[in-house]
Amino acid sequence: MKVNKTKVKTRMNVTLLSVCVVSLSACSSLGVEPWERDLLAKKEMALTSSPIDAALDDHIYFSKEASSGGKSFGGGGCGCN
Amino acid sequence: MMKKNRTVNLTKKKDGYGINFNAMASPCEVLIQTPDKCLAELVGQYVSHEVWRIEDKYSRYDTQSVCSQINTSSGRNIAIDEETFLLLNFADQCYQLSDGLFDISSGVLRKVWTFDGVSSEYQHFPNQDDINKVLELVGWHKVIFDKQSISLPSQMQLDFGGIGKEYAVDRSILLAKQHTKRPVLVNLGGDLAVTGPRDNEQPWQVAIEPPDCSGVEHKQDMIVAIKQGALATSGDARRYLINAGIRYGHVLNAKTGWPILHAPRSITTVAPQCIQAGILATLGLLQGQQAEAFLTEQEITYWARR
Amino acid sequence: MNNLNKDIKKEVAQKVSKKINLKAALSLATGALFGTSVTTGAVGQTIEADEWQFDTAFLLYSEVDRVTAGEAIVAGTKTFSNDEVLNLKFTFDTLTGPSANGAIAQPKAQTFTRASGIGRYRTPEGETPLDDTFHDTRVQLNGQWTQPVSDNVTGSVGGHLSKEYDYLSLGLNGNLAYDFNRKNSTFSMGISYFSDTFTPEGGIPKPLSSMLVGDSNSPEWDDEFAKTRISASENKSTSDLLIGFTQVINRRMITAFNYSYSMVDGYLTDPFKVVSVLNAEGLAQDYIYENRPDSRVKQSTFMQAKYHFDDSLLNMVADVSYRYMWDDWGINSHTIDSRFIIPVGRASYIEPHIRFYQQSAADFFTPFVIEDQLPVDFVSADYRIGEMSAVTIGAKYGVALNGGNELSFRLEYYHQRPTNGGFEEPEALNGLDTTPVIDAIIAQVSYSF
Repeated sequence: MKVNKTKVKTRMNVTLLSVCVVSLSACSSLGVEPWERDLLAKKEMALTSSPIDAALDDHIYFSKEASSGGKSFGGGGCGCN
Repeated sequence: MMKKNRTVNLTKKKDGYGINFNAMASPCEVLIQTPDKCLAELVGQYVSHEVWRIEDKYSRYDTQSVCSQINTSSGRNIAIDEETFLLLNFADQCYQLSDGLFDISSGVLRKVWTFDGVSSEYQHFPNQDDINKVLELVGWHKVIFDKQSISLPSQMQLDFGGIGKEYAVDRSILLAKQHTKRPVLVNLGGDLAVTGPRDNEQPWQVAIEPPDCSGVEHKQDMIVAIKQGALATSGDARRYLINAGIRYGHVLNAKTGWPILHAPRSITTVAPQCIQAGILATLGLLQGQQAEAFLTEQEITYWARR
Repeated sequence: MNNLNKDIKKEVAQKVSKKINLKAALSLATGALFGTSVTTGAVGQTIEADEWQFDTAFLLYSEVDRVTAGEAIVAGTKTFSNDEVLNLKFTFDTLTGPSANGAIAQPKAQTFTRASGIGRYRTPEGETPLDDTFHDTRVQLNGQWTQPVSDNVTGSVGGHLSKEYDYLSLGLNGNLAYDFNRKNSTFSMGISYFSDTFTPEGGIPKPLSSMLVGDSNSPEWDDEFAKTRISASENKSTSDLLIGFTQVINRRMITAFNYSYSMVDGYLTDPFKVVSVLNAEGLAQDYIYENRPDSRVKQSTFMQAKYHFDDSLLNMVADVSYRYMWDDWGINSHTIDSRFIIPVGRASYIEPHIRFYQQSAADFFTPFVIEDQLPVDFVSADYRIGEMSAVTIGAKYGVALNGGNELSFRLEYYHQRPTNGGFEEPEALNGLDTTPVIDAIIAQVSYSF
């Protein structure tokens, strides 16, 4: 039972990944010219606008929950109890 | 023709030096934040010489200049160098972007429009026929140029006045950066740029003169704090005509030959380079009544005074 | 017609006909004039090369009646002239206070042996057993080097070292990112490897063996205790693969999609946790040490979008992300995280934050075992791999100071709610809180200079 669940999820995700890859060609029409990056260049618009906060939070949730990573490496890191 | 006064003066300031000289019919200033007097002198020399070089090359008053050569070419091909080509290129793009309103061949219109703000009186207000005759000599699309040469119909004139000073500011900043990492501000008659913020991320404080600086009533200067980039002011502070109670600024519409009506008295804009700021300020003025709306819509930082 | 740089001319003409950004077109024209690359970003923004940028933070995490932890980070980043970046980070944290040992509450008092094997502790009737022997101090060092590898490819390598009294972790990571579509799209791939060694005080207990409860001062204790141990230390290794794709949608929006695959092998059991063995009525007869499989494969998909609103919506930046995780222990989880950075005045901002988390239990999770269910092969009552949901709600306030420094304060409330995943509770547990809620406060102050 356990094994089948994993297989279904993997299949779903391979599909998700291939959809993403196919969409890459559509992505060439999206985006901005270099001079239109005024807003995107702001610190608040970085995908991780506060790396220190993210590191601290990741540590908390790694210790208190069963999931880790996703945005960055989950890693080993500590013997958090 | 003005006698050229080409001396450079060095003055000690509170935490740096100021270098003053005259060029392009304007008082010019270089401020450098450094305790090193030799460095200040060096930067002052480089900047002043570069500004004078550009003035000599592109001033329409100087008979030896490239500009004058072009303007007296009577339709022949004149050889140009890369710098001139790049400037002409830039002027062409500005012509496109402004839908023909910004046109460096429109200088001839000054033959019919004489502005002398000192007397601020109607001097010689032209009629439509006069204007039409001169308009025939205006038209950037009639100029043909490439990397090697330029030719334009006889009697047509090019005027680099609209971009020359700002170009000189940007070139000076590039030069200053090549020779020092110290904060430098270059101000050529109100068009200025900085190499970066002053020490400790402090901004430069610059004062923008109000348009009506006739000396009678000293209006408050506006203070702008700038850390990066450039500032340019376009306006009719000293050159305008009044006829039938209507003020005509000296910025002319290259397509109609008439001055722009209802434009702000001055526009100051901010941009990464001085030449950009200058064009944006001029383009703003060319919109007349719509100047503020136009600049706001384009998301340009500006100050306009009416 | 004039012979000009055809590309620039075409682009400028396109701008004119579309009446788009004049500033933009002029930037391009100016760039051509001075032979410099186009200036990007608003005037007034510079990243100073050749200077260290420091970020420091101090965080306090405190659970009601349970664990309290303090963590301090000092990180320095230096950008070199060729866009190379060095990042060094030093982390110090300390933890103290009681945490659940895995046993379940009982209508009578319970006694347990401390993890170290020295001394006992007593849990009053009706309360969730908590072991308060944990005082741990940890030091961590991270180094990361990033540099362009070619025109559109950036590479990064890094190392990690973490040391606690009883734990050592060493890690390496490497990553390559490829930008295309005028740097509007980025595809990246990274791998990491961590090798951890665990040397708990009291050694590694024999899995599923009974907890020895008695007088640790008695002469036979040491021998008896040693019999319940299988080794002094254990290892585990973690290998991660992370594939990412980011896409700029328009001037105001950027999105990211990640997929990660993680394999952990080795000792994954928590040596300090036990499972209550109850009789049919629900009274504890024994406590056995938990046992988890020696491998775990986790996968996750992550997506994020950031949008910069305009004046009509306070010029705020919205950041919303979703992560779905699943593994071969039967755990799957959903995480929705959102924050909104709202500028206040010219130099400060406020950032409200809300996070929802939901996870399902591991296949071998059970809050207790009934004696006739024994023997079991894998079992754990650690609520952290049980069914639960959690909410974090908080806000951050930041202010830019003179000279480009920033000071910020963050305050959050974290609420964890374990839920009974369908385990029928025997009589003796009626009226007892078998899924205690954890409430914690997170407070942080940061200073960047």
